[in-house]
Amino acid sequence: MIPGRVRAGWGPLLGNVAVFLLLAAGSQLLAPGPVSWDPTTWSWSWSEGILVLVNLLFLGLAFVVPLHGGVLNLGVYAEFLAGLTVASVIGSVASIDPPVRALLAVLGGAMAGALVGSLMVWMKRTFAVHEVLSGLLFGGALLPLAREMPAPALGVGPQSVLAWGIILLILGVFLSLVFAHFLRASAPGLDLRVVGRNPLAAVAAGVNVDAVQLWTLASGGACAGIVGALGLTTQASTVLYWPLPLAFAGITIAVFGLGSVRGLFLSSIFFAVWLHEPGTAVVLSDPGLSTLIAALLVIPVLWTLPRLHPDQGAPRAVWRTRHRETY
Amino acid sequence: MSGKGMVGGALRVKGLSVADGPRWVARDFDLEVKPGAVHMILGERDSGKTALLRTLAGLAREERGSISLGDAVDAGPRVRRRAARFITHERGLTHLSLLSRLLLARPPRRLGMLIHGRRGLEHALALAKRVGLEGLLEAPVEALRPLERRLLDLAAALDDSPRALFLDEPTSELGPHEARHLLHVMKAVAREDRIPIVFTSTWARDAYPDADQITILWRGQDPVTVDAAQVTESALIERWTGGSPRRSPTGPHAPGDSLLRVEDIVLEGRGRETSLAGAAFEVRSGEVLVIVGAPADGLSLLHEVLLGQRAPSRGSIQFLGKEMAATDRRQRVDAGISFVNPPHARDQSLSHFTVEENLILGQTRRGPFSRRGWLKFESIRGNAVRSLADFEIPEARPRDRFDLLGLGFRQRIVIAREVLRNPVLLVARSPVQGLGLEAQEYVRKALVLQCERGSGLLWLTEDPEEALRVADRLAVLAAGRLVWLPVTETLTREAIIDEMSGHAA
Repeated sequence: MIPGRVRAGWGPLLGNVAVFLLLAAGSQLLAPGPVSWDPTTWSWSWSEGILVLVNLLFLGLAFVVPLHGGVLNLGVYAEFLAGLTVASVIGSVASIDPPVRALLAVLGGAMAGALVGSLMVWMKRTFAVHEVLSGLLFGGALLPLAREMPAPALGVGPQSVLAWGIILLILGVFLSLVFAHFLRASAPGLDLRVVGRNPLAAVAAGVNVDAVQLWTLASGGACAGIVGALGLTTQASTVLYWPLPLAFAGITIAVFGLGSVRGLFLSSIFFAVWLHEPGTAVVLSDPGLSTLIAALLVIPVLWTLPRLHPDQGAPRAVWRTRHRETY
Repeated sequence: MSGKGMVGGALRVKGLSVADGPRWVARDFDLEVKPGAVHMILGERDSGKTALLRTLAGLAREERGSISLGDAVDAGPRVRRRAARFITHERGLTHLSLLSRLLLARPPRRLGMLIHGRRGLEHALALAKRVGLEGLLEAPVEALRPLERRLLDLAAALDDSPRALFLDEPTSELGPHEARHLLHVMKAVAREDRIPIVFTSTWARDAYPDADQITILWRGQDPVTVDAAQVTESALIERWTGGSPRRSPTGPHAPGDSLLRVEDIVLEGRGRETSLAGAAFEVRSGEVLVIVGAPADGLSLLHEVLLGQRAPSRGSIQFLGKEMAATDRRQRVDAGISFVNPPHARDQSLSHFTVEENLILGQTRRGPFSRRGWLKFESIRGNAVRSLADFEIPEARPRDRFDLLGLGFRQRIVIAREVLRNPVLLVARSPVQGLGLEAQEYVRKALVLQCERGSGLLWLTEDPEEALRVADRLAVLAAGRLVWLPVTETLTREAIIDEMSGHAA
């Protein structure tokens, strides 16, 4: 049993497929002016497509990894902003070679995101501040700082961006596969599943719940931080076009993927393709239609998220701040 | 608030069919509870008691049949919901004072808007007096003992002048003497207000002396209703469980080395919970030490201290000569102590995990179930197959979901896991609570057998009967202190209850 994964038959899967088809077909149909239905005629930038896919995959991981430990990471946006800020600072140091600068920016962004995630767990453990609240607060606090950051020119060409995108995509896929195998087959993975499903039983079984939640949220934060660092590349249309706040991109990907790592990967691909439909960009630029699409993206939450929650008496494990109570 | 102006009436049920999920709880069930009568629904956990009670109270719709309440013939769920009150264990509202809680539903008002302070106080006082809580009006609800909370729930429900009361397991957190007190108050309320009261319980003893009739639910069979005056408690248990009550082969166990030595434990209780005031005992190898007491009389505190959830403010806990008072549960388990909690406890199993995963919970940090951090699925499967065979659970398979098993089998699996660790000391807290008698016997035997293999067994319970069945030595926890009673043929349940309630000669 994997807590973050939906196990409720075919209903949620079919529902998600129906919503996605409606979204994809609706974007084409509602777009004003003639749009082509032939994918071979669509203008397609490989580097941008791969970067969008990487962004979506890492944002999904940022939400799904903590969710398996019973932590609701609504601080994805804060972690993204932290990653973006630190990457901007590193990117503006002109004395470092561009390739090294890009590498450092990605690493720095990941570390900054992980730090924000760790701070959220620390606040939860020390001051009983729920991670949802601290995540939103950090997001609000970091936004002005991120806005003030100048957009540095990394000095890397399109080929380098594509190379970086491919490297990060391989890394994302590798991490997803490793995480799925880790959950299923390792003793710490079992501990993580126990924490996600029933923290009281985890405490009783001798699992250090705080430590597990710390590393899951730090890992999720690192994934969001990488997306933040990628935000320096202007090609990343996820940031530009996504109709909801960026944190919700991760939630949407996780929800459409039914919380499983395989589903996460598939939904990332589907949404990356959808974002490159010629009708999508037109539709998303229209406020009314954009709102409609945002509503469609939210709908699957209704039947998926309640089933994603660890139970042990409804969503207690997620909503309760502390796990130190008796039965 | 004596309820003299109230319109009382009988609860009449005819041809009632109630389903609880995919199974039938009752089919073509007839029942009449007269005004002023107290009716008990008896059954083990998961037998459908709550579903039946909720249906009677109008919180769930019946499949077939009619339910009449007083002059409301064939009353629908909405009518029943309005006329009757369903009382379950209320977990919220604990920050309020008892006075505020009692005024929550219908505070006397001035000009229809402002709460009338003086009349409100009088109103709350009158309600509290009916259940004997008049001295605690200013106390916060969270500070009350479980018995007082149940009485408060009852008083709050009376504010609505209900035509019937339905209480879901009101005695589940109470010691036997407290349960008697609560049921006595319920009987008085039923008589004064001329209303029927129906409650559920897993204890046959709760029927005596105040219940008039008992409906027995047992494993999907048709409910049977009997008059409490016409059956003895043992006959009731026999009918309930489908077999005669048997006593476990309990020993005697040879006294051995000292395993756990608890000395003068002092710990302040929460709210009106009784503090531990210097409890001291020793558990030896191969013996069953039973400590019996009401949860609020220090039993829950003692359990928490032993679990490592709370550190005593004074005293020491030595396990195999090593001080453990400041250690956490993990360290205690690593040192060789195993814990078995009540079957419904949420901290000892994972309902949506498989049987084999539940059997290795907390045992994967080292062999035989893992190697270098990776699970060894062959060992895990083999362990599950062996455990299911050893503990006679033929219906379950290793990959079955744990929560699809019956409560008795689930508890067997928990015990299998703990026993297979071969612990030096087993600490069992009410491990058979709510189980059918057959399952109770099995669980007792499994634990006592482990004790005969040389482990020590510390058994904490609120049930004197259970204590008598397993004890080699027995102490009653009353007013935060232990009173030792010699385990002889002449020791009776009543003597233990007297000691628990402080009425011993």
